[in-house]
Amino acid sequence: MQDTYTTGKKKNLWAFGTNQVVYAAIGAALYAVVTWAFNVWQIPGSGNVGIRPAIVIPMFFGIAFGPIVGFITGFVGNILADMLSGYGFWIWWDLGNGIVGLIPGLFSAIIYKYNEKKSILLAELSVILGSALGMGVASFSEMWVSGADINTVIFANFLPAFLTDIVWGLVLLPVLMIAYAAVVLRSGR
Amino acid sequence: MLVSWNYRFRNSPMDHIDPRARFIFSFAVLFSATATWNPSVLFAVFVISMVWYSLGRLTWKDTRLGWFMISIMLFTMIVINTLITGGGAGGVVPPGGELIWPQGFDLFGRHFMFGLTVERLWFAVSQLMRILSISLIFIMIPYTMDSRAYGVTFSKLGMPDRLAYTMELSFRFIPTLARNFQVTLDAQRARGFELDAAKGNLVQKIRQVAPLLIPVTMNAIVSSEDIANAMDLRGFGQHKRTWLYELKYYWWDWAIIVFSAVMLTTILILAYRFDMKLFSVPQWWYGLFK
Repeated sequence: MQDTYTTGKKKNLWAFGTNQVVYAAIGAALYAVVTWAFNVWQIPGSGNVGIRPAIVIPMFFGIAFGPIVGFITGFVGNILADMLSGYGFWIWWDLGNGIVGLIPGLFSAIIYKYNEKKSILLAELSVILGSALGMGVASFSEMWVSGADINTVIFANFLPAFLTDIVWGLVLLPVLMIAYAAVVLRSGR
Repeated sequence: MLVSWNYRFRNSPMDHIDPRARFIFSFAVLFSATATWNPSVLFAVFVISMVWYSLGRLTWKDTRLGWFMISIMLFTMIVINTLITGGGAGGVVPPGGELIWPQGFDLFGRHFMFGLTVERLWFAVSQLMRILSISLIFIMIPYTMDSRAYGVTFSKLGMPDRLAYTMELSFRFIPTLARNFQVTLDAQRARGFELDAAKGNLVQKIRQVAPLLIPVTMNAIVSSEDIANAMDLRGFGQHKRTWLYELKYYWWDWAIIVFSAVMLTTILILAYRFDMKLFSVPQWWYGLFK
């Protein structure tokens, strides 16, 4: 768990060594399990959009371990969650979830102390950008795949997914960041 | 919390098809179905998808949850947006058209005017064929593909080894993390935590999830460093990776790959060379409403 917080070294944003492999795998599995556990919460009237507290996991793994880990956590995690739930294999939604983790990961280069106000504000910004882009890619791909019109895409797919994602992300991400700051300091490894 | 995969060996024809050939075929169908709105081409793709789905020998009981989700999507897109409001047909179906009930119709003693056109109804049929073709192909994957095969499949399809191994590893972590999740949930409940009894405003309700999410996430991260160290000690990533689960192409896999390539190429040529990309209504369909 050595990172800038304890070592003062600059982060390598695109590193993908053994640590990142394990973090990404753990993140994806965690995202799948928590999504699956909360799958009973669905938004009525939306295009099968679930209320997902777990969406904060790819965001957090992106912030903590970089864009590749964030992307894999969202991408693979969503594949696994859909597999566990029996929902099939929807690559464009998996990609969208990957982007939700990727964008906060890009911000990880400028986030040094997880419990500082500035870091939390940057992370919150990344949540909004990541959710907009990720859910945008996934929702708008429905126009290509299903031939859905723009109104359906916006009101049945994009808005329910985007709004719930940012609500969960904005509230839970700072909580996880502060908890992680304490874990990093305490571990001292 | 018992986590189980939906896959089981059924000795179906699908169980004997190489996963790489399956993914190549699945994506060929996806691109074929989305390349055109021509009803004849979409019907052909739909029939191919039905045949492919039947190879999995899946029962309704196996897949009903996935179909329930797809039926909600179909209802929103087709019934509400294409048939009722007409918005779903915008941009594909030209404006105007032939009304099915030009004089309106009577129902429960009242007279209704409903602007559904013959063209929009045909578009709904085309939309149904396209979405069902894609759904039939992709919904069956988790039920018919062994979870041990994903890592090696993506690796052999060209994904970098580390990325493919990440996928493999995440499958293995699922049961452990599900158990940790349940243990944490039980421990928090013993302290009076109730997930469904959240009180307060929206933010307070969302924060109620934190006592569950934080310990599970932090425990997972702390344990991951030990796993990474163990992998490093065993020389992870030093040489090209070998896989315990081996894949082997048989003649029928090559036949499927060739068929996928021919199907996609033919449909792309029909769509872009012979102007069969756009939506059209066959004459016999108009005849049904005379």
